[in-house]
Amino acid sequence: MISMPPSDSDLHAYVDRQLSPDDQRLMQTYLATHPEVAARVQGWQQDAQQLRTALGGALQQPTNPDLDPAMIRRRLKYRSRRYLASAAVLLVALGLGGISGWQAREMTLLSAAAPMADAMQAYRLFAQQGILPADYQTGDEQHMQDWLDRYFTQANRLPDLSGAGFKPVSGRLLSTEQGAAAMVVYQDPNGQKISFYVRPPGPKNFLLPRGSRRDGELQAEYWSGPGYNYAVVIPGDMPTAQKLRQTLNF
Amino acid sequence: MNELDDQLRELIPRLRRFAVSLTRNPSNADDLVQTCLERALSKWNDKHPDGDLRAWLFSILYRQFLDAHRRSRRYARMLEFFTGRDDAHPSAERSVIAQSSLQAFDQLTTEQRALLLWVSVEGLSYQQVADILDVPTGTVMSRLSRARQALRQLSDGEISRPTLRILK
Repeated sequence: MISMPPSDSDLHAYVDRQLSPDDQRLMQTYLATHPEVAARVQGWQQDAQQLRTALGGALQQPTNPDLDPAMIRRRLKYRSRRYLASAAVLLVALGLGGISGWQAREMTLLSAAAPMADAMQAYRLFAQQGILPADYQTGDEQHMQDWLDRYFTQANRLPDLSGAGFKPVSGRLLSTEQGAAAMVVYQDPNGQKISFYVRPPGPKNFLLPRGSRRDGELQAEYWSGPGYNYAVVIPGDMPTAQKLRQTLNF
Repeated sequence: MNELDDQLRELIPRLRRFAVSLTRNPSNADDLVQTCLERALSKWNDKHPDGDLRAWLFSILYRQFLDAHRRSRRYARMLEFFTGRDDAHPSAERSVIAQSSLQAFDQLTTEQRALLLWVSVEGLSYQQVADILDVPTGTVMSRLSRARQALRQLSDGEISRPTLRILK
């Protein structure tokens, strides 16, 4: 296996006892007749022996209980549990953040970015889709006014839209961040619906300048009166929309 | 599980010795052994050695030392950059392996110290060392040869100036 004369690697392998028994014997024979090489090898052997002796003391250190495998297992388990717990907390936080973030977004949209978006939303849920049932139904305009007055003192009178063929038919109370709101649905003989919406002013007593806003198929005319914000929501494609706006004197 | 723990317990003194020879500082060494054992225990189910447990642990410890060393050197460079001076040089901590026969060993490079400890002290085979370092056995042998020559020269140097040491 080894070459003759032995290579540097062979000599190291001899020092490290990594030669086969045959090669080991061959090397011993060679070294016996080559004292110069033998001296070099002996120097390495001495260094190795000194190193073993010097480092031997490092094996006698007092034991460190922190390094015991059982202790390390316990620590690992504790840490992974804590890791899982913090992962769970993170998930919950993300979830809450997501939900509240979404709600905040909607609230922002409702209050500031899009005036009277809640009036439009209520119209969709109540008048268009019929998801919310009516709290009060009547065919009489005065009864509807009485119903509204129970909840809103000093509110504007219900607009008289009979000139355009619309009469109040049902009312629904809704809640906003700032308090109760109400929507009164008017209907004409063709079954077309528009709504009158009353709500408290938004945060910081936010009163609206007179204005109008279109959102999809709906048009909201809004204004502020004593103590409340008002809107009339009209489907934009309604043939009588123009006439209604004139009636309302917008 | 308990059998493994017993095997590990038996090897801990050797791991600590290896760690001291790398870090030259007993408390850093024990931190290194601890992270090594943590890593070994958490990796055990996925990947444990078919052969020598000792060689496997040595390789984990060695790699972690190199990573930490790299990080601390990066940190030291950063510190130097911000403070304008180099705080990273180890000072009195080098006294751990203070015996004179180890002073030469202490001056070798990290890899040379690891090589000599694995081969001369722990008696690992060239093949095992090659696996740890992920190099061919031929490379292990040539690096070992250089490490031995360096140690020889440094030891000779130690012997030739003992009076200087005493006066210091």
